[in-house]
Amino acid sequence: MSWESVLPNALSGGAPRAAELPMDSDAFAGFYERSARSLWAYLARVSGDPALADDFAQESYVRYLAAARPDEGEVAGRRYLFRIATNLLRDHWRRPRQASIEEIPEEFLAASATSAQADSQAVLGPALAQLRPRDRQLLWLAYAEGYSHREIAEVTGLAAASIRLLLFRARRKIARLLREQNPKGGEL
Amino acid sequence: MSFSPCNREKEVAELLARGQWPQACTPELRAHARACRSCGDLVAVILAFQSARAQAASAAKLGAPGALWWRGQLRRRNAAVERVGRPILGAQIFALCICALAAAALAVSQARHGLHWLAWLAQLPQPLSLHLDALWPFSLSSSGAGLLVLIPVLATLALLSGLVVYLASEKQ
Repeated sequence: MSWESVLPNALSGGAPRAAELPMDSDAFAGFYERSARSLWAYLARVSGDPALADDFAQESYVRYLAAARPDEGEVAGRRYLFRIATNLLRDHWRRPRQASIEEIPEEFLAASATSAQADSQAVLGPALAQLRPRDRQLLWLAYAEGYSHREIAEVTGLAAASIRLLLFRARRKIARLLREQNPKGGEL
Repeated sequence: MSFSPCNREKEVAELLARGQWPQACTPELRAHARACRSCGDLVAVILAFQSARAQAASAAKLGAPGALWWRGQLRRRNAAVERVGRPILGAQIFALCICALAAAALAVSQARHGLHWLAWLAQLPQPLSLHLDALWPFSLSSSGAGLLVLIPVLATLALLSGLVVYLASEKQ
């Protein structure tokens, strides 16, 4: 292993060579334009905190760029980005109480007042705020992003075999909450 | 809770994913979705999530990608510097330990050869003292030339040890 490959221009202070990077700045700008809104939407809706979503979206891209991984195409890159964001959320939820995410009461993790105000017009916001964080993640990835069970397993780190059942239960729960909010129901 | 998804869910989900619900939906499938709880839930949930996604995506305030790109490169470089520095630090610590050991051994050895200010070291109990003089030829041990050979040998040993540790950790 040569010094040049380990330390790309770090000591000389020059610009990094394009061949060593997963993508150059123009390619990244395009990728960012295509993926940033959906990533932000995921973070904002799942966390219930738009300010946190701003921070985590930026951090996700910085980690994505800093990671030494081969360029596997945009779809895989996007999935990797969502995985970083999911891990950031999980770390954030674990931090305050040093407890497992599954043990944290739902009320504690419910959307903040700021986001509740923002969601006041939306149908989904209040229902989503009553779910566990993991259920929010699963539902968003499946029904907003359209990820398959295998892709959701890759993003969340859960076992692929359990995604189907977890998703089914989460869907039942949110459908019930949506019906309670809107008893007349939408036109199918 | 029973886990009994409907076998028409896939059909419903595909239409919803393509944004063709309910326009491209047959009346029979639509009637089924009204009657089937599983498909009804699926339609309600997907429509709500698609609407929420569109709403949230339009509310996103995106920063400049250029700034993020440079932050990413900076972090990448810092990680590379740290990665390179780790084995060097290990080698330095190892070399320092070897030098300290060599210096201690030298001090004990010289105390036995007449340095009075170090004479107290010679008074140490036998198991703690080292018999380094047994390692080199008799002709050298009796003269001051022993010191001239010992110091470069120990210094070389320390340097080589550090180099070996560095190369070993760099491969890992």
